[in-house]
Amino acid sequence: MSAPDSEADQPSQAGALGLIQQLFANAAIVLAKDLLIEWRTRTRLNALLFFSFATLLLFSFALGPDTKLLERNAGGYLWLAILFSSVLALGESFRVERENASLDGLRLVPTDARAIFLGKALGNGLILILIGLLLIPVMVALYGVTIAMGFGPLVVVLVLGCFAISWPGTVYSAIASNARARDVLLPLLLFPLIVPALLAAVKATSLVLQGDPMLQLRSWLTLLVAFNLIYWALGLALFPQVIEE
Amino acid sequence: MARRIYYLVIAMAVAMLATGAWLALVWAPPDREMGDVQRIMYAHVPSVWMALLAVTLNFGCSIAYLIRSNWKADALAEAAAEVGVLFGAVGVTLGSIWGRPTWGVWWTWDPRLTSAAIMLVSYAGYLALRRFVEDPERRATWSSVAAIIAFVDIPIIWFSVKWWRSLHQVQSSPSTVDPKMTLVLRWNAIAFLLVMIVFIWSRYRIALHQRERELAPPEALAAEPQSRTPAAGALR
Amino acid sequence: MTGHLITLVLAQAGRAVGSGRIVGGWEYVWAAYAITWTALGLYALSLWLRRPGADSKELE
Repeated sequence: MSAPDSEADQPSQAGALGLIQQLFANAAIVLAKDLLIEWRTRTRLNALLFFSFATLLLFSFALGPDTKLLERNAGGYLWLAILFSSVLALGESFRVERENASLDGLRLVPTDARAIFLGKALGNGLILILIGLLLIPVMVALYGVTIAMGFGPLVVVLVLGCFAISWPGTVYSAIASNARARDVLLPLLLFPLIVPALLAAVKATSLVLQGDPMLQLRSWLTLLVAFNLIYWALGLALFPQVIEE
Repeated sequence: MARRIYYLVIAMAVAMLATGAWLALVWAPPDREMGDVQRIMYAHVPSVWMALLAVTLNFGCSIAYLIRSNWKADALAEAAAEVGVLFGAVGVTLGSIWGRPTWGVWWTWDPRLTSAAIMLVSYAGYLALRRFVEDPERRATWSSVAAIIAFVDIPIIWFSVKWWRSLHQVQSSPSTVDPKMTLVLRWNAIAFLLVMIVFIWSRYRIALHQRERELAPPEALAAEPQSRTPAAGALR
Repeated sequence: MTGHLITLVLAQAGRAVGSGRIVGGWEYVWAAYAITWTALGLYALSLWLRRPGADSKELE
């Protein structure tokens, strides 16, 4: 399966550090490829963004014009919008591969499946972060929130939450894209799994928006970090099983 | 021989379930605070315990399948998950019913009940995944992956929901010390365990049979259908 | 003293103040057990209907 001159045939030279470097290098290649594809077909990305805006808008209409209520729960609405967008974004990340059978092409390259996982999950995470960043001003405008603790902590929560969705989401996306009823299977698998991350992200966001007098932010951030680490590790271990033939 | 043990266990399960019901509904004393509503606990708690056991079995089998690609492990994982969802659904329903007269509402986001409900959806998703993948090997591999991910999430769900709730009011939980109650609970727990063993074993046989049919070469289907096809040897 | 505590706890749950325990509630108990037995029974039935060899018997 590997080309004769591939670096994978020279492990003694590389050593463990070299293998890790190669892993990240390959992941970066996968990431760059995916981001390039997304950029070239950015009409889809635009549609995704407008979908997320529309979701935020819908929450306002569904929950009524009570500004106090909207302001208090803004964190929840933000993360629901990101979550719903993630289903579309994640579902897409393997559809391209499946339609063009390019996953087989990826596999022929002597790239570790783990590198594919890292590249894809990073790409998905970045797209979600982008959506989140663009939603923040919309949220501020629609729900009249102020960011009490500043933009920095908000971005930290955003990054942690988006990757918490992306690690398991990428694994499930690879599975669902090859199964029947793939559109419903991905959210069905993903949503119960990320309830803890969702809870933590929403709580943390609310604290950042409204202030944290009792210093609870740290516990929620710890939960988010733990969740990220656990599912990053699990994804790394299990993803190869998913895409191997 | 296995047949006989099987029927014996069924008989024991039914007997213990029947006597357990009598113990729970008649013999056990009413609770100091909850009165007769306490009796729901004798079915609710064993159900949840069985669900947790089944889900743990599913986790073990999933890991076993990923390591050794053993079809028996896959069949057992499928059986354990289905039975686990059954007992989980019963447990959550009974918990909600218990909550109505005690807390006044059908649902209160109690950490245990909430975690159980999330787990239920999780494993229902696992069963859906199995149903939507047709290739047996892919189905086994992917559902093993999904099962491992779901199981690792269980303690995370538990802690996060607990923290989420602890910022609000504290709910009173039942404290039963009466030895009669402990006996009834243990009896019913064993009864439920026997029932679960029967269910899992039967469901395992069904899954294994289905695997044989899926993996059998096409010629075997032209002949009269039988469970002892030559391809079954491949499953040993 | 515990009586007062129980009263307080139950009062929070919306129960009538002054009663030390929940009275009655048998309909919930029966509902719970009926659901349990029905669920277990229906599942047992489904297992029996799906048993290996059941399909071949239907073909006869």
